[in-house]
Amino acid sequence: MTTPEKPIPTVTDENRPFWDGCAAGELRMQRCASCSHVRYPVQPLCPKCLDDSAEWTALSGRGEVFAKVIYQRAFNPAFAADVPYNLVLVQLDEGPRMYGNVVGPADDGIRVGAAVAVCFDEVAEGVSVPRFRLATD
Amino acid sequence: MNPSRRAAIVGVGLTPQGKLPGSTNLSLETDAFKTALADSGLAKDDIDGLLSEPGTTDMHWALDYLRLGRALGINPKYTGSFAMGGATAGNLVQLAAMAVTSGMAEYVACCFGDAAKTGKRRPLQAAGGYLGVETANNGVWGAFGAATWSAITASRHMALYGTTDDQLGEVAVSARAFAAMNPAAMMRNPITLEDHHASKMIVEPFRLLDCCLVSDGGACVIVTTAERARDLRQPVITIAGMGQGFITQDHECEEWWYGPHQKAAMDRAYAMAGLGPQDVDVAELYDNFTISTILWLEHAGFCKVGEGGPFVQGGRIGPGGELPVNTHGGHLSAGHPQGWWTLIEAVEQLRGASGDRQAPDAEVALVGGRGLVLNTASALLLTGGGR
Repeated sequence: MTTPEKPIPTVTDENRPFWDGCAAGELRMQRCASCSHVRYPVQPLCPKCLDDSAEWTALSGRGEVFAKVIYQRAFNPAFAADVPYNLVLVQLDEGPRMYGNVVGPADDGIRVGAAVAVCFDEVAEGVSVPRFRLATD
Repeated sequence: MNPSRRAAIVGVGLTPQGKLPGSTNLSLETDAFKTALADSGLAKDDIDGLLSEPGTTDMHWALDYLRLGRALGINPKYTGSFAMGGATAGNLVQLAAMAVTSGMAEYVACCFGDAAKTGKRRPLQAAGGYLGVETANNGVWGAFGAATWSAITASRHMALYGTTDDQLGEVAVSARAFAAMNPAAMMRNPITLEDHHASKMIVEPFRLLDCCLVSDGGACVIVTTAERARDLRQPVITIAGMGQGFITQDHECEEWWYGPHQKAAMDRAYAMAGLGPQDVDVAELYDNFTISTILWLEHAGFCKVGEGGPFVQGGRIGPGGELPVNTHGGHLSAGHPQGWWTLIEAVEQLRGASGDRQAPDAEVALVGGRGLVLNTASALLLTGGGR
């Protein structure tokens, strides 16, 4: 039996700039051209002011761990070899919150409130997934 | 006009809950309808409103109402299907109450059937992937399994307020103690805190015994006006307070993880009913995970923010405790018909029909429902004994 493959991101016309940014080593999100609200995940209009126009802007990639869970069971068999693995919700400095994994330390070394910085993991040809490392500086 | 106490629940039906091979979402829905109809003493032709929740394996199937009406031979005046996860049951009853008090319909049956355990499988997708591409893409980080969102909640609650593994365990132990007194519950062997701690980690901080069961089952609740209810067979169980709340933007709202919409739903129901937490005799609160019960107790005002953990200690929410919670055993130990059993248990408690697990002198019951990616909430205050 072959090992099932992990999911790769579904790229749409709407979210392509986000994934293109990851491939280029930048965390890019939509910033409202009218009120400057940074939104994530991709939305067709600003949920604050309803303006349709947005520009894709590079974020610092810095933030802190907002919450952390550790999977001790693989609900998708493709992750069986990774168990245990963590999932974190990261509060980014620019405002949005996003999911990711912290790479590097053992899972019990990741604390809620810990400072993190984005890094990128090429999972397929031309496809990079953003993850986080503990920020030491 | 305040709609408080103008509608009533006059019939309830619950199929067996558990492993029911050969059942389908529709067969469970119609079985529950027949049980509720018999419970109410009404005839099929009296039912002129049909509301449904599609089974969790058919969640997107908004045409469920049509299939249900066709199967039951009912051409309703008022109908529809709604998918709000664990808040659907309570919110359908609220829609039914509005329909009967406005005169849109006279007797509305709210129905649910879900062959989630032995029926067709859900697609393998990221937690909440049913919401669309962006949520499904969380799968790249391994965000699979329904426990994901509540585990996020538990992580944050533990970090901010010091909520402990022992306190989560107390919720599981209390639920199981009630289930042991419920002949219809799926899991009836009593457990201890040690059993909880020895159960395997699933999605840390949740162990197996922090997680709800999966079951096949159907449920139905029939609603009419309080006035008509007085002429029917069952004690009048009045809908005294109704509240809903939603967070559509789980990423945009910083407090999403805590469920502020659940507190808002509770506050709205209390305000409509003119009641407060001190009036509640029994609480039936959607416990998909142990942390959910702890949050609800805070949302419902039984304790302050962050104090739900200490509140559940010492058997306070178990049999004989100060506040009986999930007296049928909850989703944790009785079964998982998506918040319908919690609702039906509240009705049974107010009828004084809950057997060994009956809360003494129960006249006011609080029911809470929550669902999806912590997006939806429902609150009901039901009263019996003329309150």
